[in-house]
Amino acid sequence: MLQVAAQIFRFRALLWTLTTRELKARYRGSALGYLWSLANPLLLLGVYTFVFSVVFRPRVAGADPYALFVVSGLFPWVWLSTSLLEGTVSLTANSGLLRKAVFPVELLPAVAVLSNLFHLLFATPVLAGAILVGRYYGHPVGGWATLLTPVVILLEVPLVAGLALGLSALNVHFKDVRDLLTNLLALAFFLTPILYRIEALDGLPRVQMAIRANPFAPFALAYQRTIFEGRVPEPSLWLHMVLVSGVAWIAGAWLFDRLRETLVEAA
Amino acid sequence: MSAGISRSGGRSEPAIRVEGLVKLYRRTAPRDQFRTLKSALVERSLTRNLSREEAIVALDGIDFEVARGEAFGVVGGNGSGKSTLLKLIAGMIRPSAGTVRVAGRVAALIELGAGFHPEISGRENVYINGAVLGLSRREIDRRYDQIVEFSGLAEFMEEPVKNYSSGMYVRLGFAVAIHTDPDILLVDEVLAVGDEQFSHRCLRRIEELLVQGKTVLFVSHSLDLVAGLCNRALWLEGGKQRLVGNPRRAIDAYRQEVAEREGEEHRAESEREEEGERGDDGEPLRWGSREAEIVAVRLRVGEGAEAEERYLLESGAAATFEIDVVANRPLDDFVFGIAIATPRGVSCWGTNTDLAGWLPGRLEGAGKVRIHCPALRLAPGEYLVDVAVHAKDGAPYDYRRKVLGFTVTSRERGEGVYFPEHRFAFEGGIAWREPDGNPV
Repeated sequence: MLQVAAQIFRFRALLWTLTTRELKARYRGSALGYLWSLANPLLLLGVYTFVFSVVFRPRVAGADPYALFVVSGLFPWVWLSTSLLEGTVSLTANSGLLRKAVFPVELLPAVAVLSNLFHLLFATPVLAGAILVGRYYGHPVGGWATLLTPVVILLEVPLVAGLALGLSALNVHFKDVRDLLTNLLALAFFLTPILYRIEALDGLPRVQMAIRANPFAPFALAYQRTIFEGRVPEPSLWLHMVLVSGVAWIAGAWLFDRLRETLVEAA
Repeated sequence: MSAGISRSGGRSEPAIRVEGLVKLYRRTAPRDQFRTLKSALVERSLTRNLSREEAIVALDGIDFEVARGEAFGVVGGNGSGKSTLLKLIAGMIRPSAGTVRVAGRVAALIELGAGFHPEISGRENVYINGAVLGLSRREIDRRYDQIVEFSGLAEFMEEPVKNYSSGMYVRLGFAVAIHTDPDILLVDEVLAVGDEQFSHRCLRRIEELLVQGKTVLFVSHSLDLVAGLCNRALWLEGGKQRLVGNPRRAIDAYRQEVAEREGEEHRAESEREEEGERGDDGEPLRWGSREAEIVAVRLRVGEGAEAEERYLLESGAAATFEIDVVANRPLDDFVFGIAIATPRGVSCWGTNTDLAGWLPGRLEGAGKVRIHCPALRLAPGEYLVDVAVHAKDGAPYDYRRKVLGFTVTSRERGEGVYFPEHRFAFEGGIAWREPDGNPV
């Protein structure tokens, strides 16, 4: 696990070059360029606002305005899910690169996570704008504790990267990993408190327990605290995040390391 | 980086040392291609599926050393393991057994343009490719102008690489790779892709590196290039090391075997060919009334008793074409003819007994015709032989096209098909130098 981390650190310049390659390639040739990064979250926010304030108005206690409540968990979720989906195929999609050069393989899933982290970063102005608009209309959203959000994101990086590493290595050997992942992510999305508050399930202790066992849940809760409520997450939540992230990193990096020898030839 | 490969820079050790090298590839069985995680989990065979199973031997028992400053060639047929060997030396793949020691920085011109992204400009791709090959941004900055000049693509550097032709793509990749300041350069057949001017530029650059004391390992199907450039060569066949040593010797041994194999193929063909069978060009290979038949054609190289059946010869060697004929009925009008042409159909030489002034008497039963050339001065290359027995008016009894193939080699290169004995002489203000730069 340490070797993977050391390799990524040692080749950080190359990681950076490849990440900017991804970003440049994505926006090259589109008229809006980097503005697309802004347009996507803006569009998402707009759709949710329209749906939840015009089409139907859900009554979720402590989640008003609902659109802002949703996107505070949704933007990080989009980062997580696209990182995992792109990370999973990163080795097979870049088999040409692996075969052409002596290459630190772990960089490829890392690039997927990092480049999508940039997209999340580009979405922050949208979130900040939405919070300001919400406060202007008298909703008690956001606050100084919102500035802790990057810390939560950084804590989630080992979780996302660990999973991306492990999945990318598995995907080299099993062709259905991505399909399975797509389905699992759809399931996990509803098992993660993004569209609802976990307190709403106080009457269903078993369901609540299942949700708390979901590794993504503590992060979703933490984003609700910092972004939506403007509160500092409680210590138990921090501990939960650290544990989940650490375990995921160790497991993912260990699996990657075990399969390392086989990756270049099989990819 | 790994157990089997070590990189160090001691002065006295050879640039490349390969010991007992074995490389196995995992066979991709049909069931592997459709292997899914779901089925692996269901069948509880996860660890079994991830462990190695049947393997194909790509290289077996390779041992050689390459000294610093040496140009080392690797020759062999397709699938002989040349590229695998290069990738092992480059550290792209790991040996299954044995060791590869490499002293110094390696640049592998094996697959070019690693990391090129089609949507991004040539300039940005130079930086990405350079970074993938281990250069820092500053190092690339410093070499950028040289790289562009070498590639000859100055006016296209701001274009996205997807608009490049395949030749341009490779030229840019080659330019970056060769400017990574390697101690050891691994070259795999890349010279074949650029145009004439570019491949000359590449060769010049390789020669420059050699003069600077760098080591070059060179894989090529262009045997003359290997012979001209390398101090030593390795001949690989079927993953086994057949010969290491003088490049001329390795290449001759390789050619000899190829020619023998081709000779066998030709003979096998000549035995099974029936009327109407067609060659690669769609033309029939054999026709005629069969009143007389050509049963076999052989090439013997050498003089008198020393002559042996071979299909590889040095230009200027003595050669005898031997034709076995059988007359199915007695004939008194017959001409034996032979013609030699290149595979592209350029006629080199042809003659027959009529042109040579022999007047036919009687052909009955079996016979042998020998056409002896004390010095067959063909240019280096491949040749095909047509043999015929026909009537004086041209009506064929048995005409056999491409009945035999053979290869001519030479220490010197040359153009055309004819290779007369020759030498150069100079007078006046003309000076020459040795390959190391010293005057002759």
